[in-house]
Parts: sequence; C-alpha cells; structure tokens
Amino acid sequence: MIELKFKRFTLNQRIQHIIFFTTFILLAYTGFPLKFPDEWWAKWMIASVGGFDNRTLIHHYSGLLMIGVSVYHVIFHLLLEKPRIDVLFNLQDLKDFIQQMRYYLWLSDEHPKFGRYTWKQKFEYFGGGFGAAVMGTTGLIMWFPFDAMKLFPLGVVQIAILFHTWEAVLASLAIFIGHFYDEHFGKFPNFSWITGNISEEEMRHEHPLEYEEAMKDQEIKEEVTETGHRKETGLITVFAKLVFTVIFLAIIVWMLWISYLVLVEAINTYIL
Amino acid sequence: MRAGTGKILVLLFLVGIFLIGVAAAQEGVDESCYHCHSEQVSEFEKSVHFNNNISCTDCHGGDMKISGNVVSLDVMTKNFTGSPSKENLTTFCSKCHQKVTADYEKSIHWEKIQEGRTESASCTDCHGIHNILSSMNQDSPTYRENVPLMCSDCHENETKMQAWYYGIQTDRFDTYKKLYHYKAYLSGGRVLASCSDCHESHDVKPEDDPESSINPANLPATCGKTGCHPGAQNAYVYGGKVHEGKSVYFFSIDVKTLVTYFYILMILFELIFTFGLIFLGMSSNFRILRRKNHD
Repeated sequence: MIELKFKRFTLNQRIQHIIFFTTFILLAYTGFPLKFPDEWWAKWMIASVGGFDNRTLIHHYSGLLMIGVSVYHVIFHLLLEKPRIDVLFNLQDLKDFIQQMRYYLWLSDEHPKFGRYTWKQKFEYFGGGFGAAVMGTTGLIMWFPFDAMKLFPLGVVQIAILFHTWEAVLASLAIFIGHFYDEHFGKFPNFSWITGNISEEEMRHEHPLEYEEAMKDQEIKEEVTETGHRKETGLITVFAKLVFTVIFLAIIVWMLWISYLVLVEAINTYIL
Repeated sequence: MRAGTGKILVLLFLVGIFLIGVAAAQEGVDESCYHCHSEQVSEFEKSVHFNNNISCTDCHGGDMKISGNVVSLDVMTKNFTGSPSKENLTTFCSKCHQKVTADYEKSIHWEKIQEGRTESASCTDCHGIHNILSSMNQDSPTYRENVPLMCSDCHENETKMQAWYYGIQTDRFDTYKKLYHYKAYLSGGRVLASCSDCHESHDVKPEDDPESSINPANLPATCGKTGCHPGAQNAYVYGGKVHEGKSVYFFSIDVKTLVTYFYILMILFELIFTFGLIFLGMSSNFRILRRKNHD
C-alpha cells in the first residue's frame, strides 16, 4: 500500500509561520519581564538576552518583523492569490461546535466530521490575526509615543499600553497553551510545519470531509483498511516528547503566573 | 614620707598638664568643633562640602580662633549660628548656591514654608544636613535613581500629606512604578525619567501654575528636553495624565475601565475554554479506549 501524504501548508505559508512564531516567542520573552519587573524570572530573562537595551532592541525589531509578515500575509492571500472562502466562519462551524460539545458531554456518540479547517482552527487563525493587528498598532504607538501624540491625545497612548499588555496575555495563553496542546503536544511529533504534509491517517481522523473530497477523484485500487497498529515510537521520540512535556508544563505554569498577576492587579485596581 | 607623696602629686599634675598641652597642639583648627559636636563633624567629614574644603564656619559663621584652653566656654561668645529655622535655611545655602536657592525660592515647597507650613521640604530635607553628598554619588538621596524614593518619603506619607494640604495624592510613586520610565530601571536599564526630570528639582511647581514644567502648555517642552523625546515639541501632551493609573475618559466614557473589564472576561473565558477543552478531549480519549476494549 502506498503511503499517501496530503499537502497542508505551502512553502510560503511555512516560512510565514516560522517567522511569525519566532518573533512571537521573542516578543513574549522580551516583553513580559518588563511588565513584571519584580518577579525573579524577569531579571533572569532580561539578563539572558544581555541586558535591558538588548531587550528593547529585540522587542522592537521582532515586532517590526511580525508586522511585516502579517501585512505580507494579508496582501498575499487576499490580493496575489485567490482568497480562500473555507477559512471563513459559517453555520456549519456552529453545528460542529455544538455536536462536539454534545459528544464530549456524552450526549451523543457522533463526533462531528471536520473539513479542511475546524471551528477551533478558524478561531485561532482569526484570533491570531486580531492579535497581530492590536499588538502591531499599539506597539507602534508605544514605540513612537510622541509621533502618535501629534495625532491623538496622551490618553490614547495610555489605552494603547493597556491593550498591549492584555492582548499579549490573551494571545500567549491561546498560543502557548491552546495551540501547543492541540497541534504539537497532542499530535507529537508534528512536523507538518516543516514538511507541509500530513499523513493519510491524520487526514482521515482530523479532516474527514476534506479527505473524502480529495479521494473522490482518485482511483483507489485498494480498499483502505483500518490499520490496528499504532505508530512506531522510537526511544528518541519518547525522550523528545518527555523534554517537550517538561518545557510545555513550565510554559503553562509561567503563563498561569502571568495571568494571575494581571488579573489580580486589574481586580484590585478596578473592581475592589 | 609626707613630703615625698606631695612631690609625686605635683609631678603627676605637671605631667597631666603637659599631656593636655600635647593633645591641644595636635588638634587642627577644624577639629576643634569635634570635641563637642563629634557626631556632626564625623558626618560632615563624609560630605562633598568637606571634600571641597568647606569648613564649619562657612555655614555656621563665628570665629574659630581658639584662645586659652581647648574646652573653652569662649566659643559661646564667638557668634556661631546654630541650626537655622526652615525660614532662615536658605540664607545659609545661598551664601554659595545662589542660583539653586533662587530657583528653590520660586517653588511650591518654599511658598508653603513662607505660609508657615514648616513640614514642607527645604534644602536639607532632600540633600541631608551635614552629610550632603553630590548628586553624582550613588549613595546620595539626590542621586537620579534614588530620587523617587527620596520624594516618596514625604509624598507617600498620608499623615504628612493630609496634615497641611488637602487633595495632594499619595499614590504618585505607585502610579510612577507602573510607567515605562521606572519599569525600565527596575528591569536593569537606566532610570529614563525620574521625578525631578519632569517636575524640576528646585523649581517644583504645581500643575496649574503657568510657569510649572508640568503645566499642559509647557509639557511639550518638558518632554522634549535634550536626550528625552526630541519629537515632543509638536505633540499634544494632554487628554490624560501621566500619573493617572485608573481612568481615561473619552466622551465621558471611561475607556480604560471598559477595556480592563473586557479583557478580564476574555482571559477568564480563554482559561476556562482552553483547559475545559483539554479536559473534555482527554476524557473522550478514555471513552474511545473503553469502547475499543468493548469491541
């Protein structure tokens, strides 16, 4: 039986993803310590990039690169390429969501069948887009506050600062916990962000509707049989997963710590 | 025997006188104050004044020439000035520091002292008394990075603030701590702007004074100081206060509170949603396993 592979990401998209997540990690790494300068990890993290001025430099130029790749993404996928309709939300997503919740809560035995993009992936995609827009705009205002103040009063700059922190926490929670869990921890080792391909098994499991659509035109000689055997997991994979799990847990703890700090500060200032 | 004892006593007395004489000869002129004012003199010896050959009499006046015994009551008649009252302090400092004293005498601090509010800050409240250090010295309270601590000593003190001036806020240091200007310092960078960089050090004036550095009309110039924000001259530095942590109003809507409420809900939702789905996903894996075992 030939092992089929399905193209999920083009080279262009993979490069965009790599630039986006590299700058994202650098921005989080150099941003949060400034927000919470009293925490021990903040001092350690700033020292690890070689001091405060380096931190600022890395943060500014990573941000610029992220704005660049975001603008490129919009221009490329809207203007240079035929825009995809199937990334947009539709009624089916709501039905899928309700069906999935029913399945999770044992109200139904039927798991929804997803197409190319699941409702959660669409959330992540547009959440990421919204986040990049908010962070990019407010970040530029904070980088050049007095140029911004030629157009807006000081209050706008202060609101930009507020947005920048909150959106950073929200985006990091979504990426470092949600996205890491779904796409990298759950599917470990997931190399589709490098190769661009996903396996037939994954295709059939995660995107059955797209799979059926793709296979309709194909002349399939052999009946696809449900293979009982699991993926062979070598010692290296197990070790790698262990390392990934430890890092993942550390990041979760860090993110929860940050969420706790911002929430407590906000609740103390605004609600109590 | 008796005559011998008398001779020895006379001898001891003479030796004693001799020793006191030697001690007196070793005392420098400047150290004569030390006999009584040992604490003040040893503090003074660490100060920038001492290092620049300023002596006690330069501030306290009087005549240091010693006549007769070292421990002489004569000093009382030599016209020394003791510790000055707040109202008179500037006359001490202005002997040398005419310009900064003149600047200080335009400040709200001095204005309040003139009105009889002697709690208000005078030269020595910030600079210290005998142990005055250069503002370039890291141990000095007026060293740039120590200035916020020095100012907050009074300005965070509620009893001090409310005792003499209604409406003065005690959260100025707390709100400053949330700004990039100070956070950069806490993160290991330089202090980018300290209290005195915006409020002036000697010439501190309230916001509503048209000559104040923090009067809205003067803010572009204050922010646009050399080395700070060169583009500030044409900016609108209004519509929000630098120290105002909590609220920013636009068209009578408190946007900051609104944004905060929105994001508190978003983050709580995000946390519940993410961990909820992880939990539900995990439990449904068990369900699949169980079903497989059944089959």
